[in-house]
Amino acid sequence: MNGNLTQTVPVGVETAEPKANWRAVPVWLLILLLVLLYWAMLYFDQHSGWFSQDVYAPFRSQNEVALYQPKTEGPDLRRGQAVFENVCALCHNPDGMGKPNQGPPMAGSEWVVGSPARLIRIPLFGLNGPITVKDQEMIFPSGMPAMGAALPEDDLAAVLTYMRQAWGNKAAPITAEQIKAVKAQVGNRPQPFAPKELMDLPEK
Amino acid sequence: MNYGPLVFLAAFFALAASWFGLVLTPQMQVGHLQQTNTIPDGVTYPVSRPGLAKEGIDVYRANGCAYCHSQQAGQTATVCDVILTDAGTNQSALISALVKVNPRLSEVEAKAWAGNLPRRVLQGVNKSVADSAVGALKVGDAKTELWIVPVGPDIARGWGKRRSVAEDFLFDYPVMPGAQRIGPDLASIGLRWPDPTWHLLHLYAPRSQVDDSTMPPYRFLFETRRIERALSPEALPLTGSLAPPPGYEVVPKAEARALVAYLMSLRADAPLFNAPLTVPAAPPAATNAPGASAGTTNAASTNAPAKPFTAEELLKAAQEKK
Repeated sequence: MNGNLTQTVPVGVETAEPKANWRAVPVWLLILLLVLLYWAMLYFDQHSGWFSQDVYAPFRSQNEVALYQPKTEGPDLRRGQAVFENVCALCHNPDGMGKPNQGPPMAGSEWVVGSPARLIRIPLFGLNGPITVKDQEMIFPSGMPAMGAALPEDDLAAVLTYMRQAWGNKAAPITAEQIKAVKAQVGNRPQPFAPKELMDLPEK
Repeated sequence: MNYGPLVFLAAFFALAASWFGLVLTPQMQVGHLQQTNTIPDGVTYPVSRPGLAKEGIDVYRANGCAYCHSQQAGQTATVCDVILTDAGTNQSALISALVKVNPRLSEVEAKAWAGNLPRRVLQGVNKSVADSAVGALKVGDAKTELWIVPVGPDIARGWGKRRSVAEDFLFDYPVMPGAQRIGPDLASIGLRWPDPTWHLLHLYAPRSQVDDSTMPPYRFLFETRRIERALSPEALPLTGSLAPPPGYEVVPKAEARALVAYLMSLRADAPLFNAPLTVPAAPPAATNAPGASAGTTNAASTNAPAKPFTAEELLKAAQEKK
């Protein structure tokens, strides 16, 4: 019973009570934690989409979502329509028929479906003076301000394309490149064009 | 030693952290969610549910539908399909391009494909591969379409066209996305079963419509009443042992009609910016998959009615099974 379980304890050699002491955290543990933290930050950056409401699980970032948007063939007429109704329709009427003393009609207008070079200059720089639309001499007292100068080129291209393809009009779309080219060609011009000046431009 | 302030601060920070993470952050994320536009059509989404369907939310809630049915379809990936719609003028260049784009294709097969359009040239590839394929197939006025296709188990079962997003619930209060799937997911049930009579019969006697249904019958949403002059137009077409005694008819109460109107309005298929997908105009001819059998077994095994809805789903189901 008490064979080898009993040990003789030497008198006076008893060890002291164990005590908790302060000890430094090992350096390797600190480094490991920092590395983990760094990895977590990278993971968060790449996978969270920064808590955007537009980024759901299969996607990892806003750019990835944007990449997978379905594209439509041809020009974006809806965007053009939206711009038209916001910016142009006040004077030209949403149905493109124009308003007396405010804006000429656009449906079937040779200014709209004709030379892109003339059409692009009108919203970019404005138009002032008596104008002949569909063989009718018209006078608009306040002229046309440069409504399109502040629009992004994409929006302006969309709205001009919409005008050229809505209300029975059937003309080629206008691209943002064409608008950029006109801007570069004309440069800085404070005063609006006169219809006669535009008629002097070549057809193309 | 007085630990009071320490305990107070620790408790305060623990509660503050959970409030920050569980209340404040989600509120900042989707608290100001508004109607958005579908892409590319620009239709406003979502629109408020019609009146009867709005009442149906309360019936859905009162009967605890959300305890067994979820309303959140998931999605594991978004892939691209490339569809050839027009062979154009330069046939030989197109065929060599086809063989280059899809290496498993022999020249004879490619020729047969080009003669039978529209045809899915690539399926389930990522965006960059699809983009380069579209570029490679631009020979001799040939026309291609690039479809964005959400995939995942829920979509393969026909439970939805895409994953559910917060916008789908914008006008619902309370939102009942559900946590259990004792029954199938209902995120797009109105799309899957667009027949109100089916739903009424299913509520009255689930097994009459789905053989192995575990759903309890909700007969208290219906009324058995004496036929007055003629059979009411809304009387259920019940037959066999379910048929009411002669001279009686079973008609849905207002609650049942509201609930079915709500189920009809559950159709989360709008292509949005945060859940992009292509809505195909018409499904093209199948590539090679013997889709029908795979599709039906898949549907039956998940307690859904064994009737897949388009060729699209069939193809996807077959793909998932592989």
